[in-house]
Amino acid sequence: MNQRENFQVMLDGGKPEFIPLYMELYKVCLLGANQIDQPWNGGLDPFGVNWIATKEGVIPEPNKFLFDDIADWKKYVHFPNIDTLGIEGVAQFELAGCNRDEQIVNVFSTTGLFERLAAFMGFENALCSLIEDPESCQEFFEAMADYKIACHNRFIEVYQPGIITYFDDLATANGLFMSPAVYRSLIKPSHKRIIEAVTSRGVIFAQHTCGRCEEIIEDYVEMGVKIWNAAQISNDLEGIMDKYKGRLIVEGGWDSSGPVSYLGASTEDVIAEALRCAKQYGPKGNYILVPVLMNEKGNSVMVGDDRLGPMIEAWHKVNKL
Amino acid sequence: MPKMEELKAKVEAGKAKLVPGLVQEALDAGNDAQSILKAMIESMGVVGDKFSSGEVFIPEMLMAAKGMAKGVEVLKPLLAGGSSTSLGTCIIGTVEGDLHDIGKNLVAMMIESAGFEVVDLGVDVPIAKFIEAIKETKNVTLVALSGLLTTTMPALKATVEAIKASGMTGFKIIVGGAPVTPEFAASIGSDAYAPDAGGAAVKAKELVS
Repeated sequence: MNQRENFQVMLDGGKPEFIPLYMELYKVCLLGANQIDQPWNGGLDPFGVNWIATKEGVIPEPNKFLFDDIADWKKYVHFPNIDTLGIEGVAQFELAGCNRDEQIVNVFSTTGLFERLAAFMGFENALCSLIEDPESCQEFFEAMADYKIACHNRFIEVYQPGIITYFDDLATANGLFMSPAVYRSLIKPSHKRIIEAVTSRGVIFAQHTCGRCEEIIEDYVEMGVKIWNAAQISNDLEGIMDKYKGRLIVEGGWDSSGPVSYLGASTEDVIAEALRCAKQYGPKGNYILVPVLMNEKGNSVMVGDDRLGPMIEAWHKVNKL
Repeated sequence: MPKMEELKAKVEAGKAKLVPGLVQEALDAGNDAQSILKAMIESMGVVGDKFSSGEVFIPEMLMAAKGMAKGVEVLKPLLAGGSSTSLGTCIIGTVEGDLHDIGKNLVAMMIESAGFEVVDLGVDVPIAKFIEAIKETKNVTLVALSGLLTTTMPALKATVEAIKASGMTGFKIIVGGAPVTPEFAASIGSDAYAPDAGGAAVKAKELVS
């Protein structure tokens, strides 16, 4: 089986021939997100939020908010005209040389509903708003969902992806930012529309949520999420893989906060972590390894890393099933 | 319900808009400012414990802290020297190379709600700025360092070491952040570690008492 065929077996809940490595399975396309949501090199996004580039990625400029009161959002949030964002050009550039027979085109869509609210008004204001003015929050999420849906539709037209990975970090290392009840009442209805707009066009929806978000994985699956990306070990990954086999693939498993992700972790440590993932999660069959190697320059996937080669070699050699 | 009990209940429930009025009513009912402050600090302790145990989430904790801050504003003119605290001053910041502030801000709020004055240096704070702030601030009893990224853990270590090497004394150093463990905190020479904002407030009080 090639990567694509093997992936389909996993998706259907069957026994795959091998456990994939994220970067080998996908042709990741992230320039569309650069155009619609967050500039990867920093600077202003189409809404006027200034992003700061760091080694780890971009982050909204701290303490610089578009508005403080969610009731005012309509005064400050002006939705960009999607036709002017240059999505077509970057898609053409990114897809050059892509082998669709082997790899699956996976288009990133960053800055989901909650992250966008936080980008506009800061985490504290955003989180307090969920309690103080839920009606305005809900109205904001609905409008922002319309924008995301329009962007995703354009992505589907120009990239013809197999997967859209939608990023919305709703959790800390210890638990959700907000209670599951608040997520379900304010964010989930709009989130559901975003998911359905993608899946109804035959595209797989992958949900990226860092942190300990296991309390809402059931919600994700119920709404049609087929892949959970950035699955961190603070969650019961094995339990989740067992429970949702045939309905959900888990991407992650790497101890991204532990010693193996500290700067200066040895090649041996990195290999040992990959083998731990192989042994612990591989036999479940609905698992994809996403190594998180950080070095002084940033994330190894973007900047390269001498430890990556030996780790990949070890991964291929070990029996993961 | 007696005024003080009502006040405590509203702080715990995060009814921020109601707190200042209830503080004033508690004062009008003959309660002194220190007792009212103490009651609110106790309530915030309850909120912190509930947060640490997963009973409430960050928005509820933020609203409670917001309520208490509004209540303290009413009390401040009546407290000795305008100070709302007796536990000294906490210098807090996210270490150099890290722009994340949510955890740091929550810890700052909870530590303030526990009875400290807080001087927040913000994010991406160089070592020299921490040292300068400790030197120039009166009654520093606590220095709190935050770091979310594994790549900024060396900066946490370097900051703790530099503060210790500066020869300044009279305060404790507490560290925290997603990749930080009690073992790492001890290995870099800090005095304490807390896993979350509620725990940080509890630990902060322990450190200075």
